[in-house]
Amino acid sequence: MANLSIRSVSKSYGAVSVLDDVSVEVEEGSFVVLLGPSGCGKSTLLHAIAGLNPIDSGTIVIGDRNVTNLPARERDVAMVFQSYALYPTMSVAENIAFPLKMRGLDRKTSDEKVVAVAKLLQIEPLLGRKPRELSGGQRQRVAIGRALVRDPRLFLFDEPLSNLDAALRTELRAEIKRLHQSIRRTMVYVTHDQTEALTLADKIVVLKAGRIEQIGTPLSLYDDPDNAFVAGFIGTPRMNFLRATVADGGKTLHAGEASVDISHLATRLEAGRNVMLGIRPEHLDEKQGVTLSLAVDVTERLGSTSYVHGMLPSGETVVAERREDQPRFGETITLRFLPARTRIFDAQGMRIR
Amino acid sequence: MATAASDPTRHFFQPIIVCLTVASVALTLFVIWISLHDLSLMRAGREKFVGLDNYLRFFGDPRAMAALWRTVLFTTLATVVEIALGLAVVLFLDRDFAMKRLVRTLLLVPIIMTPVVVGLTWRFLFDPATGMANYLLSLAGLSQVDWLGSPQLALYSVLIADIWQWTPFVILLVMAALESAPTDPLNAARVDGAREWQVAWYVLLPMLRRALAIVALIRAIDSIKAFDLFYIMTRGGPALSTETLNYYGYIAAFTNFDISYALAIAIILTIFTNVALLTMYSVLFPKSGER
Ligand SMILES: Nc1ncnc2c1ncn2[C@@H]1O[C@H](COP(=O)(O)OP(=O)(O)OP(=O)(O)O)[C@@H](O)[C@H]1O
Ligand SMILES: [Mg+2]
Repeated sequence: MANLSIRSVSKSYGAVSVLDDVSVEVEEGSFVVLLGPSGCGKSTLLHAIAGLNPIDSGTIVIGDRNVTNLPARERDVAMVFQSYALYPTMSVAENIAFPLKMRGLDRKTSDEKVVAVAKLLQIEPLLGRKPRELSGGQRQRVAIGRALVRDPRLFLFDEPLSNLDAALRTELRAEIKRLHQSIRRTMVYVTHDQTEALTLADKIVVLKAGRIEQIGTPLSLYDDPDNAFVAGFIGTPRMNFLRATVADGGKTLHAGEASVDISHLATRLEAGRNVMLGIRPEHLDEKQGVTLSLAVDVTERLGSTSYVHGMLPSGETVVAERREDQPRFGETITLRFLPARTRIFDAQGMRIR
Repeated sequence: MATAASDPTRHFFQPIIVCLTVASVALTLFVIWISLHDLSLMRAGREKFVGLDNYLRFFGDPRAMAALWRTVLFTTLATVVEIALGLAVVLFLDRDFAMKRLVRTLLLVPIIMTPVVVGLTWRFLFDPATGMANYLLSLAGLSQVDWLGSPQLALYSVLIADIWQWTPFVILLVMAALESAPTDPLNAARVDGAREWQVAWYVLLPMLRRALAIVALIRAIDSIKAFDLFYIMTRGGPALSTETLNYYGYIAAFTNFDISYALAIAIILTIFTNVALLTMYSVLFPKSGER
């Protein structure tokens, strides 16, 4: 049973369409990540689910209730805001206890819950402070605590980890994952950090300019992107896109000097058609396969591996992973890739399978 | 402050501070000095030092005591009603509507109007025979009221005029504070299950507290010093029923020509005002208070 259904939701501010016919089904207990570049409407969608932003059209169903016209108070969701949205005049403890107070919980139970949540988030020593006496990361943890202290139908997180340092972020990411596995509550999580998306999500919804580009598991988005935007957005460094032309017979692509066998595609492409050949940097370091020669520009060393930035004879820039050696500026190296690892897109960026 | 000595801008601000300090200290001392004499324009040139006589006279003067009480009453009522009314209007208007700009401009009108015009207008409105106020009462089937002529009512009639003139000021300032306050905490409270009145009571009002306190201070100071409306609408009458301490000081100086006593009243008023406002200030802005 779907716990959250977003059906054909649209929203615009004046002439600007911020959400355009968005539909997402979220299963009970699953972890869904809304992923997309800044300004694509992630927060707007989350606010719409919470009932803080009226939508122009469409339906939102939580559990078995149509909540489209219900106020936020009656939707029984907990939300962590991008701006923390702590109550500035209340102490940390009062902030976390506020949702319990609104539900009329007695003082003793409420205090116990607050302390338990504070322990979990390591903010126990801060309980007596006011929000303005906290660092950004501490505020964010208080905001998370205020959501966790309740037992809602649905958790909404709006980039809850964006202001934390790397260590704390990894730690809290694991904490959220653990929490999700233990309480099995439906969570909708907004981020533009794909590492977070890939590690946390059961399902990722990729948004671009208010439109859904693709919905799928982390692996399917990485392996089987529907379009060039998703292919480029998922994976770091991003996928390389090379101009290519379909050769006579439709079974080979010419990309610069290289000929790539595309007989595995289900679609027969007519000769002479211009397409884009997508290859991920990590797939350019094979032992055999099609070769490309790369004039090295910079090499980034990351310890176990390196990323080489350089230029092909065709003038296109390419990033390639390099596991064995670290070529220097000015060297020309040979890259090898397997045709099966490439992804082909048409001129509009749609995937050709 | 540690860097003040090395800050080159001190050459600009220090002389000004010195001048202002000298001027105000000198004036204050001069006023105190006169209040310790029995300077009266009726007996010019024959004044002598009388010590604290003027101050003792004040506390034994029933007219002064009544005026002091009236000042306290008027200030408290004006401040409380204006803040409460202004806040209510702001919370009620707290949504974007088409005429917002127009309403805001209209709100400025009473503030800009000179007190003379406001006072005269209200005097006409409150005229027992031809005034609008009694006409409205008669429409509602209520008996006529002598707004400014009744000693029991006159103070409240002036109060109504003051509220009419200054509530818009409260509205404007609180509206500005509301607009610069973050809206996400309000949304967070809604998600957390608060009803609209709970959002206002637990989240919004505490956030506006500072702005409200400042507006209240300004209004309180202005009400204590209120003079113009009283002068134009009632001249302290009838039967001294609208005579505030400020007005009594004016009468003492310019009707009775009792300059020393008038200045003693002014000093006492100043001391009372300062004590009251400092108390109010420390209650509203506790040292560990939130921003
Ligand atoms: N009140 C508003 N009026 C007009 N436009 C708005 C308003 N709120 C948001 N927008 C626009 O809607 C679009 C989506 O905004 P939204 O906050 O949902 O982006 P986002 O995906 O959360 O971005 P980020 O990752 O930066 O938080 C943006 O282009 C923004 O400019
Ligand atoms: Mg956002």
